[in-house]
Amino acid sequence: MRRPGPQLLIGAGLVLILVAMSILPGLFAGSPDAVVVTRRLEAPSAEFWFGTDETGRDVYARVVHGAGSTLGVVAAAVAVAGLLGGGLGALAGFAGRLPDRALSRAADALLAFPPIILGVVLASTLGPGARNLILALAIIYVPVFFRVARAAALMEAGRAYVEAARTIGFGEWAVLTRHVARNVAPVVVQQCIILFPLALQIQAALGFLGLGVPPPTPDWGASLQESRNYLTVAPWLAIFPGIALLLAAAATSLLGRALEDRDA
Amino acid sequence: MIEAISRRIGGTLVTAILATGVVFLLIRAVPGDAIGEMLGQSAGDPAAEAALRAFFGLDQPIWSQYLSWAGNVLRGDLGTSMRQGLPVWGIILDAFLVTLQLGLVTLLVAIVVGVPLGLLAGARPGSLVDLLVEGFTLLSLSSPVFWTGMVLLILADAWLGWSPPLVYTPPGISLAENLESTLLPVLALGFLQAGAYAQFTRQQSVALLRQDFVRAARARGLPARVIFGRHVLRNIAVPLVTYAGLILVQILGGVVVVETLFAIPGLGRTLLAAIQGRDYPVLQGALLLTVIVALLVNLVIDLAYALIDPRMRGA
Repeated sequence: MRRPGPQLLIGAGLVLILVAMSILPGLFAGSPDAVVVTRRLEAPSAEFWFGTDETGRDVYARVVHGAGSTLGVVAAAVAVAGLLGGGLGALAGFAGRLPDRALSRAADALLAFPPIILGVVLASTLGPGARNLILALAIIYVPVFFRVARAAALMEAGRAYVEAARTIGFGEWAVLTRHVARNVAPVVVQQCIILFPLALQIQAALGFLGLGVPPPTPDWGASLQESRNYLTVAPWLAIFPGIALLLAAAATSLLGRALEDRDA
Repeated sequence: MIEAISRRIGGTLVTAILATGVVFLLIRAVPGDAIGEMLGQSAGDPAAEAALRAFFGLDQPIWSQYLSWAGNVLRGDLGTSMRQGLPVWGIILDAFLVTLQLGLVTLLVAIVVGVPLGLLAGARPGSLVDLLVEGFTLLSLSSPVFWTGMVLLILADAWLGWSPPLVYTPPGISLAENLESTLLPVLALGFLQAGAYAQFTRQQSVALLRQDFVRAARARGLPARVIFGRHVLRNIAVPLVTYAGLILVQILGGVVVVETLFAIPGLGRTLLAAIQGRDYPVLQGALLLTVIVALLVNLVIDLAYALIDPRMRGA
């Protein structure tokens, strides 16, 4: 096993900064909507670190304020998917038989779609807005959580403590919620961290396709879409939101890798 | 063996049928349909609207629409595009071939770059090379693939003063122009998938190095190079080949954004246009094709494992 030290430190440090940015963007930058009409499409300078966009807004401020809406949506989606998929998976793995077979089939049917395509269909079905985007992203990952939690619950269901709990008179529901669920939960939480960077990629792609949160909310994927028409004139519009996405994804995958290494 | 295979194929079929049902329900839940737009001037005329709806069968209940669609599909008829008036099969087949070309070339790039990197890193876990390769995989897997494409566009313009033609040319018309229009998308997709391949290769070889037979070979005093070449590489070959199938499915799904960025008329862009235009038959056909390809690849991988490794046959 390799030492997880630096991986974990760098990942956790970056995540802390991103969380701080998401919660208190005002500490890091001014308003993302302030427009200086005379200073459109300016290259990065001491005054505007990341340059300005086509309407004269500060790109740095938009990237900083974009953290909250971008990462918040992904975090909420992963949490909802974890709760729903984890709960159904634990139920299916523990109960077995018909509920397990029916739920597993449904999960397989959803997993048959490439995630981004499912995301495009769901986001168009549900319509624009942060809440619908969260829901669309969550549905993509429910079957993944379902599989992980089902496997864990299946293993737990055969353990001696389950039989012991039954023997001393606990009902099936109580065994599931009080005993099995507690042992499945850590697996689900770990899966949340592993899936976060993947869900972030889908969120960014949907924003890029114009299916994310509607403007003028600062969102990294949407900023990248807006930058397309100025790629060669004002490359900084595309570079910085992309680096933000890259750093957020890298930070969370470092955390995920450190967790996986610990288990190995 | 035969029983296990037929059970597996049966399961795949059930999944495909379920998945298409899900799609059918979902896309009919998308607000609005193509009818309003088609009517143009006569929009708001209920008689014209009802007539068009009846023409496309949209006045039927959903379950009966699904049954008649499924029946036609089984007879090999995917219907007619509501927008273009052309057979869906032709539209999505053309688009699929474009995407398939993109996917296969990308796969080649991913293997040629990713496998050697993964083997280099996996041969000596914890070494400097391993660290560098890990940095590469982290960078490639964390970069949004369309952003990689944008950076490539920026760099090509800044360094070479070159930008790709925004019109796609099929390889049959001009191979050179085809390469020109697909070069950057392949590089962007290849950068991502090479990272995935390198990571997988490394994981596999590190896991193998921990096995008892490797320890036994070491105890017999075999040099590290022989152990790696004879024991590790041989065992790694099968998972590496099957991984190609998984990566191909990933590429076919992931091209939606790249095709949009580079204006390539592949399956992803066709799908997106069909969603935006509420062209149900095209959308259903394109999704069906995507799902079937994904399921088939998974099926082939499982069967290949069963053929190669007798222990997997019961599973």
